[in-house]
Amino acid sequence: MNKDYYPWGGEFTACNPKGCVAVVILNFDFIPSKKVAIYGSLKTENIGIEKIVANVISNPHIRYIIICGDDIRGHRSGSSLVALNKNGIDEKHRIIGAPGAIPYIENLKIEAIERFRKQIEIVNLIGISDKKKVEKSIDECVAMSPPSFGKPYMAIKIKPEVEISLDDKRVIHSKIVVDYMGKINKRGE
Amino acid sequence: MFSFTKEQKIFEISGIKIGGQPGSYPTVLFGGLFFTGEPDFISADEQLKVMLNLSKKIGNPGIPDFFIQKEQYIEKILNFIEKKIPKNHPFSIDIIDPDLKIKTLKYLDEKNLLSRTIYNSIHIGITDKESDALKIYTPEMAITVAFNPKDKSPDGKIEVLQNGANLIDTGLLDLINKIGIKKILVDTAAMAPGDYSGAAIAAIPVIKEELGLPTGCAIHNVVEKSKWLNDFKFAKKQVDASSNINIPMFGGDFAIYGPINNSNIVFPIIAWQDILISEYVENYFGISPDDSHPRRKL
Repeated sequence: MNKDYYPWGGEFTACNPKGCVAVVILNFDFIPSKKVAIYGSLKTENIGIEKIVANVISNPHIRYIIICGDDIRGHRSGSSLVALNKNGIDEKHRIIGAPGAIPYIENLKIEAIERFRKQIEIVNLIGISDKKKVEKSIDECVAMSPPSFGKPYMAIKIKPEVEISLDDKRVIHSKIVVDYMGKINKRGE
Repeated sequence: MFSFTKEQKIFEISGIKIGGQPGSYPTVLFGGLFFTGEPDFISADEQLKVMLNLSKKIGNPGIPDFFIQKEQYIEKILNFIEKKIPKNHPFSIDIIDPDLKIKTLKYLDEKNLLSRTIYNSIHIGITDKESDALKIYTPEMAITVAFNPKDKSPDGKIEVLQNGANLIDTGLLDLINKIGIKKILVDTAAMAPGDYSGAAIAAIPVIKEELGLPTGCAIHNVVEKSKWLNDFKFAKKQVDASSNINIPMFGGDFAIYGPINNSNIVFPIIAWQDILISEYVENYFGISPDDSHPRRKL
């Protein structure tokens, strides 16, 4: 089971597979104790958050996300993750109330987001880079000893449907054709 | 090496021309001044001189791209721009936070710098306040980033430019036209490795043929995020600099090549590539290089 956790990749380190805490680190160097399930950095308020959501719901033992460190300027990725957990997304897939520049969740189904919101409680330590304080918070979460959320949720990345009907092997893209000299034209013109 | 059927727009800012058919004008190179913490203007001045001297010698225009992270640095950075960048030379400002963007626009206006400003950038995260500020304090040129979180393919990038991809109400190009910025550069939004990174390069000829606008990207960002390259420290800088040849190779017009202190590698590499392209396109398509082209200068 452990090898199936965290299928979406990203900059993270997996520790205790049955740990109940994930630590999201913003803007500072920190290696938490090995009792956490997973820890890693967050940079962007869209793709970065998607990876956290997808990876975290694949491990039902994780019930807390501790977000620590100074938020990313402009992106406000940490605060956007808090907003996602609190509010979800609107009809345009924008995280409701997120302060980040481009806080859109486009590659996850709404079910995955709802699962994340139900499974995870956020511990908001944004602005705190004191490692002792973060460790104390980890200990408090571990002491709560919450039950597993049940079955893992494997989020499938939404991909746009691609129609491949290329009759020209020199083509770069379905919208254009390139002749043998290198002249580009719109396909069909 | 390509030539496009669609008429290619050429925009000029303070004497620097961007766009056109491949081989007409040299690739424009944006070098980043990323100040972490208090700006180090002594180092910035040195790096700027290196870039401008390389540009003069080789022909590829160099444009400094100032990354502004905090409000307290706006005035200091703009004072530096005012004093240290030649009066007839453009620059770009690269800011993420919309409120900081608005404050910077006001300062740029006060200092009469908007006619030399390339606004980096307008994307789907634009706020109404930012849009309103841009209508009052309108920069000469803007880079629009064709980032579509829903679809990172060339089609998705075109969609966000043309109709907003249901993320915003109108396409980015319409939005920019309504603001009143006439000179638009399209940045194809390079994504991290594993996240359709090659689409930023493939989108260049597609966007140029569809829209005819000057197009480029910051392919450097993909190199920076290729963490495995950290095990090859000697090669990383060379990979970083040479990744930029993909842009002119695929018909692009500008490269945002990362830290300005990479200038001494990036400029010769791109000049070499531009010459290679020019020799082909002149013979095959009759595209003569401009007098500023490295083929004329070197």
